Amino acid sequence: MNKQFRIAQKTGLMFRDDEMLPEDMNAWIQSQLQVASPALGLASSYADVAQWPDDLQPDLSRRASMWRRYRDLENQSREGKNGQETQAARQANRHENLTGKMDEHKFVQRNVYGADQVKLRITAFWANHFTIGNTFDTSQMIGHAIDEGILAKLNGSFADLLYGMTTHPGMLTYLDNVWSAGERSEQAKGCARRPDCQAGLNDNLGRELLELHTVSVAAGYTEEDIKAAANVLAGWGIDFSEELSQMRKKAGGTDHWNAYKKRWAEPGSKKVMGQSIYAGRNGLRQLTDFLASHDATIHHISTKLCQHFVSDSPNTEEIEAVKIVWRESEGDLQLIHTKVLELAVNNPDAKFIWPMTWLFQVVRLSGATYFKGWEKIHDYDNKLMHTHKVFEELGQSFWSSRQPNGYSDDKDEWMSAEMFERRVRFADAIYRNGNPRQSAKEIMDRIGASNQTRALVASVGPSWRDRFIALMCSPELMGLDYV
Amino acid sequence: MSKLTVGRRSILKAGAASLFLAGMPVAGFANAKPPGSISVIILEGGMDGLAAMPPIGDPDLMRMRQTITPDNYLALNDFFGLHPSLKFYAQLMASGHASAVHATAFPYTKRSHFEGQNLIEGGGLSPFSEKTGWLGRALDLSGVAGRSLSLDMPLILRGHHENDNFYPASIRGSKKPKADLLNMIAMGHQMDAAQLFTKVARKSEDNVQVPRDPASLAKYAGRAMAQTDGPVASVIRVSEFDSHSNQTENGNTNEGRLARQLSVVDDVIAGYRRGLGEAWDDAIILTLTEFGRTVAVNGTRGTDHGYGSVGLLAGGSLSNSGVITDWPGLGKKDQFEKRDLMATIDYRSVCAACIEKSLGLDHDLIAAKVFQQPELPRIFDHLFT
Repeated sequence: MNKQFRIAQKTGLMFRDDEMLPEDMNAWIQSQLQVASPALGLASSYADVAQWPDDLQPDLSRRASMWRRYRDLENQSREGKNGQETQAARQANRHENLTGKMDEHKFVQRNVYGADQVKLRITAFWANHFTIGNTFDTSQMIGHAIDEGILAKLNGSFADLLYGMTTHPGMLTYLDNVWSAGERSEQAKGCARRPDCQAGLNDNLGRELLELHTVSVAAGYTEEDIKAAANVLAGWGIDFSEELSQMRKKAGGTDHWNAYKKRWAEPGSKKVMGQSIYAGRNGLRQLTDFLASHDATIHHISTKLCQHFVSDSPNTEEIEAVKIVWRESEGDLQLIHTKVLELAVNNPDAKFIWPMTWLFQVVRLSGATYFKGWEKIHDYDNKLMHTHKVFEELGQSFWSSRQPNGYSDDKDEWMSAEMFERRVRFADAIYRNGNPRQSAKEIMDRIGASNQTRALVASVGPSWRDRFIALMCSPELMGLDYV
Repeated sequence: MSKLTVGRRSILKAGAASLFLAGMPVAGFANAKPPGSISVIILEGGMDGLAAMPPIGDPDLMRMRQTITPDNYLALNDFFGLHPSLKFYAQLMASGHASAVHATAFPYTKRSHFEGQNLIEGGGLSPFSEKTGWLGRALDLSGVAGRSLSLDMPLILRGHHENDNFYPASIRGSKKPKADLLNMIAMGHQMDAAQLFTKVARKSEDNVQVPRDPASLAKYAGRAMAQTDGPVASVIRVSEFDSHSNQTENGNTNEGRLARQLSVVDDVIAGYRRGLGEAWDDAIILTLTEFGRTVAVNGTRGTDHGYGSVGLLAGGSLSNSGVITDWPGLGKKDQFEKRDLMATIDYRSVCAACIEKSLGLDHDLIAAKVFQQPELPRIFDHLFT
């Protein structure tokens, strides 16, 4: 591949067939980190690329009120009230009040049409690092966390990113913190006296904050540290279903991203990995700041970043280089990302491309229209699958239910016949139904495909479709080593 | 959690009598037998064991659960009945190829689906303590590959790098690629990737169309496991057991949400039976659910998250039929935290026995390395002899 596409494959989503190619790739990467990030997409298959309408991008409080409305109508449906029990009414309720499908559709469209491809790739890395799996209630919040918790904070500090994602209602719900109560909290004490009341510590988020989001098990913390972290977290977050009047009473306000229920909080100071954490709501920021600057965190995440962007087996020098920038800049994400991208550009190794990223790249390279317009999202189309279904079949979606450790950056985890079969099938489906503007030959000429890739494409015979499939499933486009 | 250990409590085999013990082979050839296969049906949402296998002989049952206890139950013995949806399973019981363990659970009492599902698959000492699963670790120890019937590897099977996923693609607007094309693509790849594309090509030639319903998948899994070099383990998930409301139909206790889901389980077991063929003789199938449900009916003819439930076992490697239980009773004082069916048998012991039987591993090794619980009670003899 020529320089432009080799770099775009590793650090971005490939240049669309109608995009101008930059001359100076180093300047391009720098500018990519600063570029504006409007959510771009199509209203319908024949429309021009445009910005997503505001009313399809609800803020948190609207998401919560839609969720309460959804639950209310579902209850009416269950009780057979107000005509809500019909299939049509239930479907209308889902379409009008649940945001998950629309959010995923927006995420996909902006990845296909966005002019901010490097930021979107980095966003995907962090969205995976701070995995919020779909437990149905969280589907209302995942898209918000990606847009406002990650993409909007890409150029800030890691400490801000960590605090923001730890306190995001999606994370607090996914890892059960909204129901956790400190061991000696007023709520737990009060409940102990009542037979049908349950309140206690849930260490789910405390555990993952240490193990996955920051220091990792290599830091050698104990179960006591996990419990202490969980006690620092106790009180944070509130069930999305809670009426606002109740929320005001419990959390003293109606901001879901800043909801702290004093009655559920653990009194007194705590000690996490030797660090004293003071009581009260400020304790959490103290804890996440402590963890954000911990050397074990810097090592853990620098390694992950290198494996995601630089090489399937990054060397110690590369990881060290990121760690040095991290330490010297005190976790400035813009500088950290710049270093990682520089290493990616300078490392000539192939880097395995995630299925999700690969699909975006195939669509962008070919100029296909493989996803429905936002106006048609709920309509049946005999050619184009529902967007959520596409990624479910592909085997990778940020809106799927999955474990909190997220998708692996390790190539070996993705090497399976079924996963490869899906690449072939989707390349076929995109060719047949997405009306690609570019043929295999045109794409190979533009990206400067290697001789091996050209030989592979030529070997499958004269069918334009077979050539398209062979190109997209070539080692070069999948990010695998050549023969 | 000391109440969960079997210890001094005797395990009672109910359901002996004529119905289940007729024509039973005599056990005692365990050492000569080659290892068998193990299949897990995960029932997501928390299955109501008191409805699946109602203890009709317990005087408190009808007092507390009249609207959700099927009146058309099949009597297994004086004490236990079986939900009418479990027809095939009932036949297996009659022929000595199915057993149940009642009032059992993993040692998890906090009633969260997410934590509970993680624990029953991870099989560690607490939820989220494991990144691999108990079946995956057991397969690791025995050096054989498992097979997951879903695209993503479920936690329960993780741990063994030779695990082989299979879930047929269903992509609208695409056709199955020709083997020639796939073989040419394979030739353009390095060794490991080339092998995988070649495998896709082979499957493309096989022309196997696998339907997606759980029962047909079970049949497919059974067939695969019956092959000489086929996988020895499989896992199938059945969801929607979270019956908070309308567990039964209004006025018909034999139908409703739970009845439908139990029919699926019954079809899955039947699918395995058909698919396994002669390999059924060495097979064990067991259900797994994150928790049982409350003893009392709630305000919406359903039940809420609880603790103890029932585990259903089937397969030719069972040498006996019966309900294995140390029945705790349903009275308020017998309930866990005055609301749930108490669990008196640690279900990890059941899983350990199934591993011991199918994979031929030593119980102490399973207890220590698979469940990290060296003192886990061994109940193998109650199930397999």
